[in-house]
Amino acid sequence: MLVDAISAERFRLLRDRSTLFWGFAFAPLVGFFLSVGGDLFLRNVIKRPMPGATVDLAGQVLKALSGGASTFSALFLMIGAAAILAGDYRWETWRLLTPRNTRPNLLGAKLIVVGEAILWNLVLTVILSLAAAVIGAGISGKTIIGSANGVGLGQIAGAFVVTWLEAMTLASLAACVAVVSRSTMGVVVVCLGARFVQSILSSVLGAMAPETWKTFAIPAYCADLLRAFVSAPFHGGLQSGTAGVALLVLLAWAAALTAGAIVLFQRQDLTRE
Amino acid sequence: MTIALEATALTKTYGSVRALDDFSLSIPAGGVFGVLGPNGAGKSTLFRIALGLVRPTSGSARLFGAPAGDITALRKVGAMIETPRYPPYLSARDALSMLALESGAKNADIGGWLERVGLSDAADRPTNGFSVGMKQRLGLAAAFFTKPELVILDEPTSGMDPAGIQEIRALIVDLAKREGVTVILASHQLDEVKRVCDRVAILSKGKIAAEGAVDALTASQARLRLVATPVAQVLALLGDKGKADGDDAVLADIPRGETPALIKALVEAGVEITEARWRDADLEGVYLKTLDQTGAI
Repeated sequence: MLVDAISAERFRLLRDRSTLFWGFAFAPLVGFFLSVGGDLFLRNVIKRPMPGATVDLAGQVLKALSGGASTFSALFLMIGAAAILAGDYRWETWRLLTPRNTRPNLLGAKLIVVGEAILWNLVLTVILSLAAAVIGAGISGKTIIGSANGVGLGQIAGAFVVTWLEAMTLASLAACVAVVSRSTMGVVVVCLGARFVQSILSSVLGAMAPETWKTFAIPAYCADLLRAFVSAPFHGGLQSGTAGVALLVLLAWAAALTAGAIVLFQRQDLTRE
Repeated sequence: MTIALEATALTKTYGSVRALDDFSLSIPAGGVFGVLGPNGAGKSTLFRIALGLVRPTSGSARLFGAPAGDITALRKVGAMIETPRYPPYLSARDALSMLALESGAKNADIGGWLERVGLSDAADRPTNGFSVGMKQRLGLAAAFFTKPELVILDEPTSGMDPAGIQEIRALIVDLAKREGVTVILASHQLDEVKRVCDRVAILSKGKIAAEGAVDALTASQARLRLVATPVAQVLALLGDKGKADGDDAVLADIPRGETPALIKALVEAGVEITEARWRDADLEGVYLKTLDQTGAI
């Protein structure tokens, strides 16, 4: 039953080219073109290359992944998530779907497909950041190296998972907002606002040592902390207990918001979607 | 006897508005059941509750014995509620494919149904360019293509041209009779209801105002039409049970069993009777009279 709902949702998304492009492909493409354009600008206009003799591929990927759930990327991810999660309110199509599957399955399937799309968005981010690094090296005549700091595939995979999890906390919030507001615009505005506030709080509270439960309550802070733990040399100087708390907080946010969205949707009257 | 849809003491309020008010109805499986009523009578609310789109304020609705919204029962049901809408980026074929996936009906005959509702030529066009009639046709295909046991249709032919109406009407009757699908149909087109429905319920202000077989309902409001002179004398004898029908006739609202006594009394009073004939009311008459009695019009 959930499998049916996921298949249907995936089928829909694959035919919604506008959402696929703007929601899940645009931000990585912008990153790619800005990077290559920057290298071309430095070489042809400024006529001075970026400092350094080498291009660190692993470093480039980690940098791209840490920006994978930034406010800029979140804007486009939330446009995509809003189209998936609130589209049936906008098009008044819940009446077609709710008699065919259970409400938890319908909303759960939407979140799973948003998760899949975010995953492919991050894969695209990694591929395009590698491509931009290689092209940039060619433009500026630098040597390409795999990793300058001994960063391996394990660290990259870790950063990938943390960024995905961070984006999924936002997607879960998007699901709640979609059900409550019944509006795609509502989802984008609220989730973008939440991401923006998190960025500010994370940088302000993060600078205040030691960490308190308040700083740990911020998903973006936890994600930054976890990314540093999995990808920085010597775990960025972090204790595994601290990283464990950060991981639990991220998982708890995603689980609580998902459960909240499903409970709200389960009780919602669909008089006019 | 299997009950397809059963509502028991169903009440639904939206703020201060009572869309359904202690509403009870039992619709047996088999045949075509019509639900009539003016706008706001509670037809769509009843259907939305049955399909699990809306929760009742109190009371209960059951589909094939299972609580409304139960997915096992809902998978036996196809529905078209109000003007159907579709994600605009999907073609007609994609919309049905998506719904088939959602229902787990992977072997549904999508092409066959698109042909049956006359949308073969437009099957691969995005639905956002469809006319209301085309959307209705696609909605009908969506309601029927998973081979349900019960189909709920809310105004299935609104927005269609006369030829389309006739086509869809024939399709509904065909499915109900040949494939044993139970159809519950809400419509404002009384002619359509009379042609396709075996039984009807008339809703008014969230309650059942009348219910029964179409023939029985029209017969129950039959009138004796007397062509007689002088008409004034007939009207005087009948009192408030008589009503003039043109210059030379009177409609008498009396039980059939009282016909001989009435005719005898009229003859004894010197009235010349040219013709006396029982005339069934048409569905429109029954409908309007029922609504009048409930104060809905």
